[in-house]
Amino acid sequence: MHLSKSFTLLVMLLLLSVASFAQQKVSGLVSDASGNPVPGVTVRLQGSNRGAVTDAQGRYSIDAPNGSTLIFSYTGYKTQQTVINGATLNVTIQEDYANLDEVVITGLATSVKRSNLANAVATISAKQLYGVAPAQTFDAALSGKIPGALITANTGAPGGGISVKMRGVTSIFSNSQPLYVVDGVFISNISVPAGLNLITGAATAGNPQNQDNPSSRVADINPDDIENIEILKGASAAAIYGSKAAAGVILITTKKGTNLGRTLVRLRQDLGFAQARKLLGVRQFTEQTAFDRGGATERDLFIAARDAGKLYDYEDEMYGETGLISNTNVSVNGGTERTGVYFSANRKSEEGIVKNSGYLNNAVRINVDHQLNDRISLGLRASYMNTSADRGLTNNDNNSVTYGVSLATIPQYLELHPDANGVYPVNPSAANPLETRDKMRNNETTNRFITGGEIRATLHTNDRTNTKLIVRGGVDFFNLKTEAIFPRTLQFMRGGLEGASIQGNTNNLNTNLAGVLVNYFQPNNDLSFTTSLGATLETNNLDNILSIATNLIPDQSNVDQAASSQLQQFRQKYRDNGIFIQEEVLLMDAITLAAGVRFDRSTNNGDYKRYFVLPKASASWNLAKMDFWGIQSINSFKLRAAYGQAGNVAPYGAKFLALTASNVGGQPGSFVDTQFGNPDIEQERQTELEAGLDVSFFNGRLSLEATYYNKKIFDLLLRRNVPSSSGFTQQWVNGGDLRNKGVEIGIGAIPVNTKNVRWNAQVNFWKNTSEVTKLTIPPFPMGAFGNTLGNFYIEEGKSATQIIGTLGNNKGVGVLGNSEPDFQLSFYNDVTFLTNFSLRVMLHWKKGGDNINLTQYLSDIFATTYDYDDDKNGNGVKDGVDRMNAAAISDASVRVQDASYVRIREIGLYYNIPIPKNNIISAVNVGISANNWFTWTDYDSYDPETSNFGSNTISTATSRGSNGISTGVEVTPFPASKRAMFHLGVTF
Amino acid sequence: MKQHRILLFSAMLLGLGACQKGEIPNLNTPVASQIIANGTKEQIDNLAVAMESGTRLTLNTYYDAIGLQGREIYRFSGSEPRYTTELMGTSPLDNNTFYTTNPWASRYRVVRQANTLMDAVNNSSRLSANEKKGYLGYAKTIMAYQLLLALNMQYTNGIRTDVKDANNLGPIKGYPESLTDIANMLNEGLTDLTGAEIVFPVSIVTDVTAAKLMQFNRALAARVAVYRQQWAEALTALNGSNFSLLGDFNSGYVHIFSANSGDVLNPVFLPQNNSGEQRLAHPTYAAQIAPGDDRIAKATLRAAPASLDGLQSNRDVWVHRSNTAPVYIIRNEELILIYAEAKINLNQLPDAIVALNRIRVQHNLTPYAGAVTQAALITEMLNQRRFSLFAEGHRWIDMRRYNRLNQLPNDRPNDKVWDKFPIPLPESN
Repeated sequence: MHLSKSFTLLVMLLLLSVASFAQQKVSGLVSDASGNPVPGVTVRLQGSNRGAVTDAQGRYSIDAPNGSTLIFSYTGYKTQQTVINGATLNVTIQEDYANLDEVVITGLATSVKRSNLANAVATISAKQLYGVAPAQTFDAALSGKIPGALITANTGAPGGGISVKMRGVTSIFSNSQPLYVVDGVFISNISVPAGLNLITGAATAGNPQNQDNPSSRVADINPDDIENIEILKGASAAAIYGSKAAAGVILITTKKGTNLGRTLVRLRQDLGFAQARKLLGVRQFTEQTAFDRGGATERDLFIAARDAGKLYDYEDEMYGETGLISNTNVSVNGGTERTGVYFSANRKSEEGIVKNSGYLNNAVRINVDHQLNDRISLGLRASYMNTSADRGLTNNDNNSVTYGVSLATIPQYLELHPDANGVYPVNPSAANPLETRDKMRNNETTNRFITGGEIRATLHTNDRTNTKLIVRGGVDFFNLKTEAIFPRTLQFMRGGLEGASIQGNTNNLNTNLAGVLVNYFQPNNDLSFTTSLGATLETNNLDNILSIATNLIPDQSNVDQAASSQLQQFRQKYRDNGIFIQEEVLLMDAITLAAGVRFDRSTNNGDYKRYFVLPKASASWNLAKMDFWGIQSINSFKLRAAYGQAGNVAPYGAKFLALTASNVGGQPGSFVDTQFGNPDIEQERQTELEAGLDVSFFNGRLSLEATYYNKKIFDLLLRRNVPSSSGFTQQWVNGGDLRNKGVEIGIGAIPVNTKNVRWNAQVNFWKNTSEVTKLTIPPFPMGAFGNTLGNFYIEEGKSATQIIGTLGNNKGVGVLGNSEPDFQLSFYNDVTFLTNFSLRVMLHWKKGGDNINLTQYLSDIFATTYDYDDDKNGNGVKDGVDRMNAAAISDASVRVQDASYVRIREIGLYYNIPIPKNNIISAVNVGISANNWFTWTDYDSYDPETSNFGSNTISTATSRGSNGISTGVEVTPFPASKRAMFHLGVTF
Repeated sequence: MKQHRILLFSAMLLGLGACQKGEIPNLNTPVASQIIANGTKEQIDNLAVAMESGTRLTLNTYYDAIGLQGREIYRFSGSEPRYTTELMGTSPLDNNTFYTTNPWASRYRVVRQANTLMDAVNNSSRLSANEKKGYLGYAKTIMAYQLLLALNMQYTNGIRTDVKDANNLGPIKGYPESLTDIANMLNEGLTDLTGAEIVFPVSIVTDVTAAKLMQFNRALAARVAVYRQQWAEALTALNGSNFSLLGDFNSGYVHIFSANSGDVLNPVFLPQNNSGEQRLAHPTYAAQIAPGDDRIAKATLRAAPASLDGLQSNRDVWVHRSNTAPVYIIRNEELILIYAEAKINLNQLPDAIVALNRIRVQHNLTPYAGAVTQAALITEMLNQRRFSLFAEGHRWIDMRRYNRLNQLPNDRPNDKVWDKFPIPLPESN
C-alpha cells in the first residue's frame, strides 16, 4: 500500500521535467567483417529509448543529434558504439564468438553483459532448442541442454511429462521443479492427475503417491515461438524471484516483431514419424519351457498355437506402431520504426507408438511492441494453446489392468485377438491389452491463454542519470479436461465397476504483477550504478472437479448415463508477495558488484504475515579489461562469485488438520486426515554460493567457463512418517538440511573457421553430489515400494538419492545404488559447410545413476521376460530363474540397475536452396533430422529415462502428489519413442 | 496527458495488488480443531459417521493377509508379487510395506477418529448427558474393535492401547495385556451405553437403539473372552449379546457399502472367474469339506483353474457376492460357535454338542457322531469354525489360539506360516 503511494508520487514528480533535443536524420549501412549486410541489428541512441532496426539490406535510419552516440547490437555480434558525425554512418560489426556481449537478465528489470556477469547463466538459443531435431513438446526439447540439470522424461506417452532438477535435489517433498517465466508471466507447470487411480489402484497398496503420471503443463508452450531461454540455476542467480526460485528459474523470451523494412512471412512444414526407441522382445517358448511355465496345460496350448502358426509378439503389436508426425507453422514478423508485430500459428499433430494414442497442439501467438513516444513503450504478449493428448494406460497398477502389467503376464502362445464377432478373449492373468487399447480412452485436453503486458516508462533522463518505471502484469489461465473412459465390456470392468467414466475439469488461474523502479546513474565513464526497487505479487487459484461415474449404460460416457457416481473437488489458492531492492555497480566496465535483498511472504506459510528476508550479493572482475592486462591471446579473464538465498513455500494445506469426506449409509462423514497438520510450518530456505572463472582466448575462438557451487537447503520440508498408531501417518515438519555441491565446466570452440567450413562446438560437463547434512527426524525410506524391491532412504550424512534394499538371505538392508549420475556431458556441434549446408548434432552422456527396474521383475514373475532363457552369467541357471531366486531370498540388488546412457539427442542436416533473386520468395531451406534416434545403454528395459511417479503431480484432499526424489522408478512405462523428420521452410 | 494516465493506471494496478489481504482458509475440508472446540451436533454426527465409515478401509489387506496365513485363500495378482511370496512365508515379512502398515494405520486412524469424536462430545454444550453417553459408548466399542483387529495381526508383538495423545503415545503392550485393555474398553463402553440415548446415525445395524449397540458390545466382548480363555465370562457376555442358538446365523452387525458419492465399495469383493486379480479358495477347502456340506457354495468352481508361482486353485472365494455386499463384523453363527467353545472348555460337553449340531444340521450335515471328549470336540469346533467363518478372518487366529499353526499346509518347500506380523517401521521412530 505505502509502496504504491510513493510510486504514484514519484511518477508525478518525475513527469514534470521533460527535456527535448535538436534532431536530425542519420542513416547508414551495417555490414559484417566480410562486407555482407546484416539485417535485424538494433540501433539505439545512447541514453534514450529511441531506436531502429536494420532492414533486410542492412540499412537503418534514426533521428539523432549530431555528436551523440549510436549503439549497434545484435545477437551473436559484439556491441559497437559509434559517435555520429554527419548524416551518414556506416558501421562494420564483429562476430562475438564467445557471446561476451550477449545481454543477460539479472534482475526483474535489469540486465548485464555476459562479460561482466557474476553468475553462470546458461542460455539456449532458438536454434539449439528447436532448430536441430524438434521434440514433441517444449519440455522434451530441454533434454540434455541445461548444464547442471538432471532432466528425465517421466513417460513416453504423447504429451510428455518431465522432471527437471537443477543442481541436484532441492527439496525432498516440496516443489523441486523450476519456475517457468514466459515473457515475465509466471506460468503454471502443475501436473493434474486424471483420476486413473480408481481403475489402476496404483496408489492403494505399496506407495500412496499418485501414479497417474500426467503431463507437465509447461508442455503446452509452442517451442517454435521461443527466441531464447535463460536458466538461473540456483539461489545465487535467482534470489530476486524469492520463494519460487529455490529450484531455479527458466526465463523464456518469445520472438518479437522487428522493423526489417518489410514483413517476413515464414512457412514451415515438418513431416516425420515416431517409433519406439527400443522394444525388448518376447520370450520365445519351446514345448519344454511352456511345460516348465505351467505344466501340461500350457505345453498343449503352446503346441496348438505353434502348429496353427499363432505365436505372437504382443509387445510389437502394442508398442510397435509407427506414428505419423506433422507440424505446420506460419509466422509473420514485421513492423514499423515504432511498432513491431510477431504473429505465429502452429498446428502439430502426432500419432503415438501405441494405437489410439497421440498428441495435438494448436497454438497462436501475437506479440506487439509499440513505442508510444520517446519515453514510454508498451509490449503485449498474447498466446492461446489448445492441446490434446491421448495417453493410454501404462505404469504401475494393483488391479492388473495397464498395458504393461498385462503384457508382462502374456506368453506368446496365448490368443488375445478378437474373434469374428469382435469379442476379445480373456487374459486369465491380467487384462487383455489389445482390448484395453482398442476400447478405452485417456485424454487430456487443455485450452490455455498466457497473456502479459509490460509498460516501460522513462521518468527522467539526462546525460548522467535516468530513471525508469517498469510495470509488468500477466495472466496464465487454463482449463484442463481429463477424460478416462472405460466401457463396461472391458474384461476388467465386468462384474466390478461395470464401466467407468472419469471426467476431470480443472481451471487454473495464475496472475502476477510487478512494478520496478530502476535508476541508472553514471557519475563518470568508469563508474555506474543501477538501483532497482520493486514489488511483486503472484496469485494462484486452482479448482479441480473430478466426476466419476460407474456402472455405465453401454456406449455412453456422460456421467449421468450411469447407475452410480462419485464427485471429488479440490481447490487451492495462494498469494505470495515480495518487495526487493537491488544495487549494481559497474567499475571501469571490468568490475561488477551487486547486492540485493528481497522480503517475501506467502499465505502457504504457517504465519502468512511474516516476511522472510532473502539477501543476495555478487562480484566479478574481468582482469582482461584492466589496463595492466598484457596477454593478447586472452581477451577475457573473469573471476566471479555470487551468493544468494531463496525459499520454497510450504505445500498447500500443510498447516491444517483436515477432515476428509468419508460417508456411509447415505450419511455424510468427516474423517480425520492421515496428515497431521502443523501450524508452525515454515519455508525451506536455500543459500547458494557460486564461484567461477570465465576465460576467452583468441578473440573468442576458444572459451572456458568453469563454475563451482555449494548449495545448502535449510529447514527441509519433510513429510515425516509418524507412528501410525497416532492415527496419522505423516506430518509436515521442517526437519533437516541438505547440501548439493558440484562443478560445471563449459568449453566453447570454433576449431575450424574457413570460407567453406565453419565448425562450432560446445562441450559441457557437470556433476553434482548431494548430502543430507542434518536430519532431526529418524532416517526414513520413501519414494518406491519398500525395501524388498529397492527404495530411496533419507539418512543423515548420506546422499539424498541413495537407494537401499534388502540384501537377501536375512543379511538385512544395505545401500544398493544411487539415482544421481556420476556426471553428465553434452556435446553440441554446428558445422556449416559449402555455404548452404548445416549439420547440427547434440550428444548427451549420462554416466551412472541407477534406476529401480520393476518392469523386468513383473515379467520374470510370469516367466515371459525376453531374456528369461538366457544365461549371460554362465552359471548354468537361466537368467530369469536367477532373478526369481534372488527375489525368493529378498535380494533387492537385482532390481537396482545402472541407467547410464550415451545418446545422440538430436541430429539434423539442413540445406538452404539457392534461389534466383525474386520479389516473392527470399529463402527456401530443407532438412532432415532425428531426435533420440541413437542410444547406447546397458539398462535392461525400454529406456533409462523413466519415472513411474511423475515429477510434480498435485496433492489433493484425497490423493498424495509425487515428490522430487522418485525419478527413475520404472514399472511398465509407456515406451519412449524416437523421431525422424523432414523439414521444409519457405520465407516470403 | 496520455502518459500520465498510463502511469497512473500502472500505479493503481500495483496498489490494487498490494491491497489484497487476509489469511486463505482451508477451501476443501472442515478443520478438526474447530469442531473439537465447539462443534454443532451436525458436525459431531459427521465425525461419528466417518468413524464407522473408516472401519471399512483396507479391510481387503487385513482379510487377505490373515486369510493367507490361515491357508484359507490364495491371492493372485498380476502386479503384486508379495501375496505369493513373503505372505506365504518364502522370505521374512517386511515391516514397512502395505500388508503390515496399511491395516495397522487404518485401524488406528479410526481410533484417532473415536478420540476426536469423544473430545468433541465432551466439549459440546449442545448435547444432553444421555446423548453424550451414546456417542461415548459407541466410540469406545468401535475403538476396542479396531484395536482387536490390530492385535490379531501383531499377536505377541503387541500393540499400543493408549494413543489418546498423538504426541505422547502409550507403550506397546504384550498380547495378554492388550487383550485386557480391550476387554476393559468394551466394559467402559457398555457402562456408557447403559441408559444412553442414540441420536446419531449408525450403519452397522438397522433401526439403532442403545440396546442393539449394547448387544453388539457384548458380542465383541464374548469374542475377546474366548481369546483370553475366560470361558465363563464368554458365556456371560453372550447373554448380553445378540446370541440366539436357534436364530438366524446371519443376524448380526455389518459394514455396509455403496457406490454413493464419498462412500466405498466392498474392498473384499472380486468377481467370479476374474482374471488378473484373484482371491481363490485354498485347495484344501474343497478337499477337506464334508460331502454335502452347503458351505462349499462359499468357494465356487472356476471356469478355468488359476495358477501362479507354483500355486493352483480352481475355486474362487465367493463369500461377498457383489461390490455392495455387506461384510460381517460379528454374526450369530460365530456366537453359536463361541458358545460351543466355551462349553467345551468348561467341560459341559452336551451343551456344546447341541450347539455344534445346530451348525452341522443347518449346513446339511448329520449330527455329530464323533468321540465325546474335550479334545475331539475342540477339533470338531475348530473344523466347524473353519467352514462356517471361511474367509472372514478367523482360521489363522483360531489355529494360533490352540497352538495348531503347524497343522496348516505349506504348498511349496519354502512356504511357512507366520504366527504374527512385525510392528510397522514407523512405530519405532
